[in-house]
Amino acid sequence: MSSVKKQLEFLNKISYNTKKAQIFVNSEKVTGLKLLFQWQNHDGHMGARKFWHEYLPTLQYYNPALKIDLLRLKNDKRDVEVPCKIEILGRESKILDTINMQYKKDNEIMDDLLLKLDHEVVPQDQLVKV
Amino acid sequence: MSRVLLGGSIRRCFLHTGQVLKAEESVATVSKLSKDQLKKRELRRMAQRKAAAKRPASDHPLYMPISKALRFLRAAEVGQPSSQQTLNLTTLIVAERGVPALSGSVSFPRPIKETKIAVFSDDEGQLKTVAEQFNCHLLGGSSLIEKIKNGDIPVDFDKAFATPEIVPALTSQLARVLGPRGVLPTVKKGTVAPDITPLVKQSLGSMPFRQQGNCISIAVGKCSFADGQILENIIATQEAYKEALVNQKSKKSSMLGKTTLSSTHGPGIVIDFA
Repeated sequence: MSSVKKQLEFLNKISYNTKKAQIFVNSEKVTGLKLLFQWQNHDGHMGARKFWHEYLPTLQYYNPALKIDLLRLKNDKRDVEVPCKIEILGRESKILDTINMQYKKDNEIMDDLLLKLDHEVVPQDQLVKV
Repeated sequence: MSRVLLGGSIRRCFLHTGQVLKAEESVATVSKLSKDQLKKRELRRMAQRKAAAKRPASDHPLYMPISKALRFLRAAEVGQPSSQQTLNLTTLIVAERGVPALSGSVSFPRPIKETKIAVFSDDEGQLKTVAEQFNCHLLGGSSLIEKIKNGDIPVDFDKAFATPEIVPALTSQLARVLGPRGVLPTVKKGTVAPDITPLVKQSLGSMPFRQQGNCISIAVGKCSFADGQILENIIATQEAYKEALVNQKSKKSSMLGKTTLSSTHGPGIVIDFA
């Protein structure tokens, strides 16, 4: 990634261009997110991977204290059924809610997460543009 | 059929000659520059590099204060395995031709990983002192050498130190095992001394660096480190670079240029390092 233009695009994608994930999560209620899905795309796990790459950097940027854990299990032989889910964690790692990500697109997963997360949208004047 | 093939081969042959001719022309244009012109071009480029190095980092479009840069890099590394979330510092070095490569070692206040140390000595007193003061992985004398030689103990340490009396035995028996891994204690490396304690103290948490091409790249931390710890490591790196510049054995000293902080999967962000 040597070009300055490309790097600026990369930085702006994190902080400015990904609108849906520009939220402040209520840190008093939600302390972390735990994602579990497959390493491979089959069985409807591709959306989860895309969600991780498209939306999680922005979510982490505006919520540096939010602990995001990601666990990907290898299932080359397709002999195990791996769950594809997000767990919303509260105080003392208590699971507040679970979202199923299987056979969903990345934007659909983000919409579901916004419905279940206690949050407020980042005001326009607090958005960072590089 | 044979005519068609023949024609084809002739055409290919012409194309080939055409390419050769073009290549010869380009070589001729390069060699048209006289020695004086080449020297002038070299001087001009050096002046440009020096001017770029003197420009403040804040002029660069990718410049950010370190705290802001770390926030971006942590966001870029989200969900990646913690072993891969390494932060790198790359500094351009502006040096004239013939100047020896910049090298030295940085002593980090917060080391990136625990270094496993092995100490070879027949002096029981020294071994006892080192064992009391430091967390050593392996300690011993001739018996330890025998065990490593026979393969009873694996070579899984990162650094090794020895006292002079055991060095001949080490070199004759373990040079082929330890040498290729770069952990054979030698006087040249500075890992052999009658008193090992200060050597171990110096090298714990220290990371060697060396100029490769026109830059130095060194890992300064992990994303899991606190901002303060990373900042301390960056400052230690800066001091070590400046010390290396002072100690450089050359009439014309090198200059530190643009410095970039980056992570394994993240972008490179220019920081103020001067």
